This record gives sequence, structure tokens and C-alpha cells, in this order.
Amino acid sequence: MSEKQYHLQLSPGDVGEYVLLPGDPGRAEVIARHFDDAHHVATNREYVTYTGYLDGVKVSVTSTGIGCPSSAIAMEELVRVGAKTFIRVGTSGSIQPGTKSGELAIVSGAIRDEGTSSHYMPIEFPAVADLEVIYALKKAATAKELPFRVGISQSKDSFYGEVEPEHSGVTSRLLERWRAWEIGGAICSEMEASTLFVLASMLRVRAGGIMVMHGEGELGSLEPLIETAVLAIRELIKGDQSAQ
Amino acid sequence: MLNEEKQYHIQLKKGDVGKYVLLPGDPGRCEPIAALFDNPVHVASNREYNTYTGYLDGVKVSVTSTGIGCPSAAIALEELVRVGADTFIRVGTSGHIQPDSVSGELAIITAAIRDEGTSKHYMPIEFPAVADIELVAAIKRAAIKNGAKYRLGITQSKDSFYGQHEPERMGVAADLLNRWKAWEIGGAICSEMEASALFVIASMLRVRAGGVMAVHAKDPMPPLDQLLKTAVDSLREIIAEDKANGRAVD
Repeated sequence: MSEKQYHLQLSPGDVGEYVLLPGDPGRAEVIARHFDDAHHVATNREYVTYTGYLDGVKVSVTSTGIGCPSSAIAMEELVRVGAKTFIRVGTSGSIQPGTKSGELAIVSGAIRDEGTSSHYMPIEFPAVADLEVIYALKKAATAKELPFRVGISQSKDSFYGEVEPEHSGVTSRLLERWRAWEIGGAICSEMEASTLFVLASMLRVRAGGIMVMHGEGELGSLEPLIETAVLAIRELIKGDQSAQ
Repeated sequence: MLNEEKQYHIQLKKGDVGKYVLLPGDPGRCEPIAALFDNPVHVASNREYNTYTGYLDGVKVSVTSTGIGCPSAAIALEELVRVGADTFIRVGTSGHIQPDSVSGELAIITAAIRDEGTSKHYMPIEFPAVADIELVAAIKRAAIKNGAKYRLGITQSKDSFYGQHEPERMGVAADLLNRWKAWEIGGAICSEMEASALFVIASMLRVRAGGVMAVHAKDPMPPLDQLLKTAVDSLREIIAEDKANGRAVD
């Protein structure tokens, strides 16, 4: 039990029950600055972890790397060392026309357009975010008066398949499916949410996600996104404490 | 104009229904649900589609039966949207998946397993069938007010009733049993036959859909009064919230 997890190099006690999950290892430190008394816990491969406190409760941030394969490992090992609530935080593409850069996407469910989650559950099973996490994110974005929408994310395995589909050997399939996601009302496109959600259902933990979207115009600072995610963790802590 | 005409299957035209519609499977369950509305009137009956319209807190609401299964439920949803409905709560009974369920507890559906054929005619299988989060919250508030035992979670929406209840006699027995085990491992809470197609189509049509089921577990099933009352009160909850948010309710 006291041995370190194989990839994350973390032991029980190293992380809090609440964990933010950026993709980029370099973003872990930036997020940890929003915690009280943050300290670096471990770095191995693409997995960087910091732990600190919010309102006196231990919280952590661990980077997942890009893609569902590495994210699945991160969540499995974090749950084994005691984490129970996860918010994925990062950048994403946009799907609906008219989306402005900087709008936040609060992810309610995810399109399983990737290979990892099929190793866990049949494809018909929905990748759905935890409702308490969705409500906490919504409350936080509303309190910060930031533009946001709640909706479905496309979780894909190929970044360049999305941004340059014409360079692919499966161009027509990629374009046809992208059109389907737009018709279906999906709002954003990223690379980790679906597996995190399916796995969270199986492990009986809570997971949600908030992304800042690239759309029309330049993408500005990520600080509003990070502040919203951190405020949502505070909301969840408050809700959990009052439920006890 | 097409919309002035009666819809082909449900035999309804604009004005016949409210924006808020309860969707039982059983045509015979429409009347007891409508009895909980103010001034309910019977609007139409055709095939398995039976519709009553009445009022809740002064707002027009309706109940339309879908029949059993996603094929007929998809038709009901499509045609109801064409005559002006935009908020749907599926209400009915379901099987249970988790071993600790007891008969009569309510399953408030957050998302659905697309274990059926209809929704694939609308969206690729990777697309999630998710309920509207405002409706989920409204149903949860109504369940609490009614003192109901409830849980939130995922439903299996299947095409075969007897494939679930008597899998061993099927030609695909091993597959059915393996998949049922997967749904249990995944934390799914109930099993019914319409939610997934309703949710996928609702996403496409930009309308809201949710569902509340009374779960049938190993013990005898109690009467459905609490389920029907909770479903009707869920409409009251979402109507009140829409009014507070300045959303048109009729």
C-alpha cells in the first residue's frame, strides 16, 4: 500500500480527494499557485503533481499528458492513492459556429471518439460528467460572470485529424463525423474527457471538465479558466462539508 | 403549411399540446397522469399515441404515450417538437441493475446506454445520450419534496425486454450476459427501453429531455402514485425555474 504508483510516483497521502487535471505538465505549477501552501510532490514522464490547500482542505493538481491513454493511467492511479473528485481543465476547439475564443465549455458528456474507453466499457455506454461537478462549475462561472455554455465534448485521438482533416487518409469520414457532432449540438473538442468520465463511472468517483474554447478571435489568458476551476473545487468542498 | 396539419402518427397540431410534456410508455397511463393536471382534456388517440392536455400553475402541459421501444418513442418526440413542445420527461417503470435496489425507488436518469437500434439512425454510436441537467435538477427537487427514495444515474435503453429477463434462452445469450455485467460494473442503475433515443434526438433538436423511472427490483412493486406525482411536480419545478429565468412557458 505504501508503495508508489508505477507511473505517477505517488503514495496515499500525497494528494487530496479533489484533483484538477490539466493536460500540460507545465500548467500544473501555474494552477498550484492558486492553492494555499502548494508544494511539488512528484514528476515522472508527463505526470506532474502539486498538492496544497483550499479552505483548509487538501487539494491537488496532476497533469495527464495529451490523450486518453495517459489520462486513464493518471485517473486509475490517483484513485488508488485516495482521490475522489476530478475536474479536467484545459483548452479545446469549438464546434458550434459563432463560438468566441475565451468562452468556457462546461462538459456534461463526451463523444467517445477514441480508443481507450472501449478497453473499459462497450461503446454504447455513455461518457457522462458528474452532476454535482457540473453544477459547481456552472455556479463558479456564473459568479465570475464569464461567458459559458454547458454541453457535449468530442474527445478525439487525433489533434491533426481535427484541425487538418484534409491531410488524412480518412478525410471524408472525419468531415462527415464532424458534421454529425455539430448537428448533435456538441460544443467543444478535446482529447481526454470521455475516458475520464467512463472510468469515473466504473470507479464510482466524480469527474467533470471545463475547457476554454478556441473560436473566433484570439485566445487570451487562461487565468479566468483556472480561477473558475479552482472556485468550483471550493464549491464542491463546501457542498460536501454541508452534506456531512 | 405542414405544421398546420396534424402530425402523421400522433394526430396533433400546433396548439394541441403545451411546451412541457410527460412521456409514459403505456397509453393507459396517460389518463392517471392527466388526472394530476388542472382541467385535463383528451386531445388525440392514434396507434400507441394517446395525448391529454391540461394545466399546471396556469401553464399548459401535456402527456403523450410513446408505446414501447425507441422506434415509436423517436416518432413521438419528433412530432411533438414539430407542434411546439420543447421539454420532455419520460416517466415509467424499469428493471434494476445494481443489487441493492429496492422496488419502487426512483431512478432519475442522467444518461443512457445506447443499447438499441434507433438512435444510430440519428447519430454515430460514440455520441453520448445525456439528459438535460436542468431537468435532472428539477426531478431531483421534486423527488425530495415527495419524500421519495431515489438515485441518480445511467439507464440501459434496450430493444429486447425478454433479452433482459430471459437472456439464457437467446441465441446471443453469452453476449447479453457479458454486457449486462458490464452495465453493472459501469454503475448503471436501471433498464428501460426508450431513454437513449429520446436523449440523442433531444440533443439534435435542441430541446430538453430527462426521465424518472420507478425501479422494479426483487421485492413486489408498490403502486406508482409517488412516481406519477414526482413526474408532475418535476414539471412544476422546471416551469417555476423557467419563469424565474424569463424563459417563455407557453
